[in-house]
Amino acid sequence: MSAERFVIIGNGPAGNEAAEILREKSPRSRVTIFGKESIRSYKPHLLPDVIAGKVDQENIFMKPDSYFREKDIQLRLGQRVKHVDFNKRQVLLEHREVVSFDGLIIATGGKPRIPEPLEVFEDVMLTLKTAFDAQLWVDRLSKTDSVLIIGGDLTSLSLTRALINLGKKVFFIVNAESFWPLPFNERLSTEIQARLCEKGVEVLNSRTVRRLTQLSDTSVEVETDCEKIRVGVVGAFFGLVPDVKFLVRSGLDIDRGILVDENLQTRFANVYAAGDCAQVYNPVIKDYWVSIGYENARTLGRIAALNMLGEMLSVKSSPESIFSLNGVKVNTSWWMEF
Amino acid sequence: MDHVNPNDVWAPGANDRRGPLVTYSRDAADFDYMRINVPCQSACPALTNVPAYIRSIYEKRYGHSYELNRIVNLFPGTLGRICSRPCEDRCRHGEPELGEPVNICHIKRAAYDLKEPGHPFMAPMFSSHHKRVCIVGSGPSGLAAAHDLSTIGFDVTILEALDEPGGMLRYGIPEFRLPHKVLKYEIDSIVRMGITLKTGIRAGTDISFREIMSDYDATLIATGCYVSRALNVPGENLDGVFSGLELVMDIASNKSPNLGKKVAVIGAGFTAFDCARSALRLGAEDVTIFIRGLEEELRVTKEEIHDAKKEGIKIKALSLTQGIVGSNRAEGIEFVRARTGEIGSNGRRKLYPIEGSNFLVEVDSVIVAVGQSAQPIAAPGDKNDSGILIGNSDTFQSSEPGLYLTGDFLTGPSTVIESIASGRKAAERIAHDLTGKRFREWVVRMEEAAITDRHRSWDFIPRQEMPTVTPVSSRLVDRRVEVELGLSSEAAFEESKRCYLCNLHYEIDVNKCIFCRYCIDNAPRDCIKLVEKINLNENGAIDGFIETTNWQKVNAVVIDNSRCIRCGECVRVCPVDCISVTKVELVEKNLLAGRQ
Repeated sequence: MSAERFVIIGNGPAGNEAAEILREKSPRSRVTIFGKESIRSYKPHLLPDVIAGKVDQENIFMKPDSYFREKDIQLRLGQRVKHVDFNKRQVLLEHREVVSFDGLIIATGGKPRIPEPLEVFEDVMLTLKTAFDAQLWVDRLSKTDSVLIIGGDLTSLSLTRALINLGKKVFFIVNAESFWPLPFNERLSTEIQARLCEKGVEVLNSRTVRRLTQLSDTSVEVETDCEKIRVGVVGAFFGLVPDVKFLVRSGLDIDRGILVDENLQTRFANVYAAGDCAQVYNPVIKDYWVSIGYENARTLGRIAALNMLGEMLSVKSSPESIFSLNGVKVNTSWWMEF
Repeated sequence: MDHVNPNDVWAPGANDRRGPLVTYSRDAADFDYMRINVPCQSACPALTNVPAYIRSIYEKRYGHSYELNRIVNLFPGTLGRICSRPCEDRCRHGEPELGEPVNICHIKRAAYDLKEPGHPFMAPMFSSHHKRVCIVGSGPSGLAAAHDLSTIGFDVTILEALDEPGGMLRYGIPEFRLPHKVLKYEIDSIVRMGITLKTGIRAGTDISFREIMSDYDATLIATGCYVSRALNVPGENLDGVFSGLELVMDIASNKSPNLGKKVAVIGAGFTAFDCARSALRLGAEDVTIFIRGLEEELRVTKEEIHDAKKEGIKIKALSLTQGIVGSNRAEGIEFVRARTGEIGSNGRRKLYPIEGSNFLVEVDSVIVAVGQSAQPIAAPGDKNDSGILIGNSDTFQSSEPGLYLTGDFLTGPSTVIESIASGRKAAERIAHDLTGKRFREWVVRMEEAAITDRHRSWDFIPRQEMPTVTPVSSRLVDRRVEVELGLSSEAAFEESKRCYLCNLHYEIDVNKCIFCRYCIDNAPRDCIKLVEKINLNENGAIDGFIETTNWQKVNAVVIDNSRCIRCGECVRVCPVDCISVTKVELVEKNLLAGRQ
C-alpha cells in the first residue's frame, strides 16, 4: 500500500503542530503544508515588537529552516489553495496544480477583519497580521510621526505600546466594533480609554469614521462624525475573521468559520479544521465560537492530527480556553495587557 | 451540429453571398447542446439570450442589448436591479479555477441605464382575433401574459386590486432597491400595447368571477402570494410583531411604522433582507437577521448580503425560533441553536436543535418574514384543502373552462423571472386554446461566425462590482435613495469583455485535421481531447467522451464545448484551418400569421 498523503492548508501554528504530530505518529506518510506567504511560519504576536525594533525579524520564526528537511515535511510556500474538491479529494492551487490527499487539515487561520462600512477605505488603512504588514508599518513609520488607530483589538494595544516607545503621537477611536468578538461594553470602553490616556494616547470623541482620504504618502485626512484631523498612518484593528472564503460552496458547512464537531471533524471523512478558521459549538456560551490565539491554535492542530490518526479527542469548551489569548483572559481584563 | 435542413434555411443567408449562412433547428439534440453548453441562457427561466446582450454592450449598442432582453423578459431595467440571477450561478467564468461569474445582472441594468432616451422597441404584432382576455393581477406574471396576449392580437384588460400596477414589484420591493420610476417606465411600455388597465378593482369582491368569465373569452388569475406564513410559535400575536410582507407593503404605501431601536428579523429571503434594511431607514439602530441555516446557503444574492452588512445589519445563523416573549408587547425572542445535518431530498439542509442551547434575545420589535402563500379567491373551480384554486402547471388551466392560473398564485412563491416566464407560457397556452394556432416557437439559431475577437488577457479582468452610495449614512436619510448606482459605460464595457461567449460553438473537422496537436498544446485547459469514442445521449447530443492516450486508438481530436472557454487559440494556431466557429442561440421565432 502506498503511503498516506496528508495535506495541510495553512502554515501557522495549527498547521505546523498538526504536521509535527502526523510525521511523528505516521512516519511513512507524506506530509505537505501549503502556505500562502513566502516565508516559513513565525509568531505573529511578536510583530509589534518587530515594529518597535525590540525583536529582530530573524528571531520570530517558529522553527529553523532545516527542521522541515530533517522531518521530511514538504513545505510549499507562496502557494495559495484556490479550491478543494471533496468528492475527488483534491486540492486545487492558484497556479492550477492539483494535489490529491487522503487526509486534509484546514488551518488557514484568520485574516484582519474590516467592518463592511469601512471596506471602501481598505487601501488607505494598514492592518497587522503578517510579516509583510509589519514591514509596511516600519516603512510608513519611518516617514511620519502620527498614527490613528481605529478599533481596538489586542493587537492594536500591543502596537500602540510599540508606537509610544518609538515616540509617535497616537490617536485612538474606540467604537462599537472595538471589543469584537466580544460585545461592546460601556464600562470596558471607559476603562480602556482612561488607560490609553494615561499612556499619552489621544482618544478621540468620535465613534465613527465617515471618510478617509490619502492626501500623500505621509498624510491621511480623517473625517469623523465630529471632527476632521490629519495623521500620517491609519491602522484598522477589528480582530480577525476566519480565512475561509475560498471554501464557500465547496460543500463544507461555513458560518463565520468552518463548522466542525467537538473532534474538529468536518462533514467529510478525514477532513479536519483547526485553529482560527474552525468554529466549534460551545455549550457554555450556547453559540459556535472561533478560538483565537497562538496556543489555542497549536492545541487544536494537535487534536486534529491525532484524530486524523484514529484517536477521538474532544476540544475543551470551558470559557477559559475561549477567552484566553496568550495567557491573558480577554473577557474581563484584556486591557491589562496594555 | 451541422445538420442543415433545407426547409429551415431562412433568409437572409442561404443564397446571399454577402451574408453568413443562418439556419434554424428544432432538433432535440440541438436543444440538449444549448442546455449543456450555454449554461446562462438555459438557467434563465425566461431563456434570456445572455451572451448576445452582453456582446451588444461590448459593441456599445445599449438599446439593442435592452431589446434582446425585453423580447423575452419584458423588464430589463427592473430585473437588472433585483433579479435572483440563476444565470450567474451557472456562468462558466465562475467555475472553481476560472474566477468569478460575469456580472450578468448588472450588465442588463447597464443596457437600461445607458440606452438612448426614447429608444424604440420592436414588438412583433399579429392581427386582431377579436377575442377578449381578462387578467386578474398586474404583477410580473400578469403583465407578461398581458403583453404577449396583446401582441398576439387579443383585447386584454387587467384588473388590479391595489392603487398602482406592478404587484410585488411595486409593493414588495423597497424603493432603495427598485425605484418606482424604473418600474413605471417598463410597465407603461407594456400597457401602451393597447392593454386596458383598471386599478382599484378587486376581482371576486368588487366584481364576481362569473361576471368576468361571461364577459371575456378567457380569464387568467395572476394574483400572486399575499398571505404571510406564520412561524407557529407562542407569542406571535403580541404587539410589536410585524409581518414582513405587510411591513414592506406599508412602506411602499408611504407609511412609517414605529419599530423601535432594536429590531430582529426572522427569515432568510429577499423580504427578510428588505425588512431589515427598511427598519434602518425607519430609525432602528440595531438590526439583526436570524436565520435557521447558514449564511452561505441563503438564496439572496451576495451583493444583497454585503450591502445589508455594510449598513450595519448582523446575520445570526443556526438560530431556531422557539417563541416570542413579552407581557404586553414583544420584548424578546427565545431561540435554540441548531446543528447542521445532511441535505434532504428537497435540497434543503436538515437542522437539529442542540439540547440545552436555548437563549433569549431582547428586542423592541420582531419582523417575521418566513414566506408567503396564495390568498383564497372567490372563483369557481377545484380548490385544495386551504381553499386555494388549483390548476395544471403544464396547461395553466383550472377545472373551469376558460379560467387559467399563472405565476406565484399557481406555483407558490417564486422569483420575479420565474413569474415572468410563467406568465408568458400561460399566454401562449391561452392563445393556442382560443385560436388553435401557435404564434411563436423556440428554435436553435445557427450562424457562421468569424473567430472570436476575445483576447486571452480578458479572462483575467476582475469582475466589475456595482458601485453604491457612500457613506452609508447618506443612504439612510431618505428611504427612496437608490443604493446601487449602476455600472459606468467603461465598467460595463470591461465586464462585457469577461463573457466567454459560450454561444460560439467550436468544432474540429475530422476530415481536415492532421492530428498535429498544436491546438492541444495551446489550449488553456483540458478543452481539447484525444478521443476513442464520442458518447451520444438518446437525442443524439454529445454526452461525454472516452478519452485515450494511446495513439493507436485515437479516432478524433474534439473540442469539449462544455470545457471550452472560447479563447480562440485553437483556431489561431491550426495550420490547416480545420476548426469552424458557429454562433448558436436559442431564439423565439414568430410563426407567420400563426401556425396550426
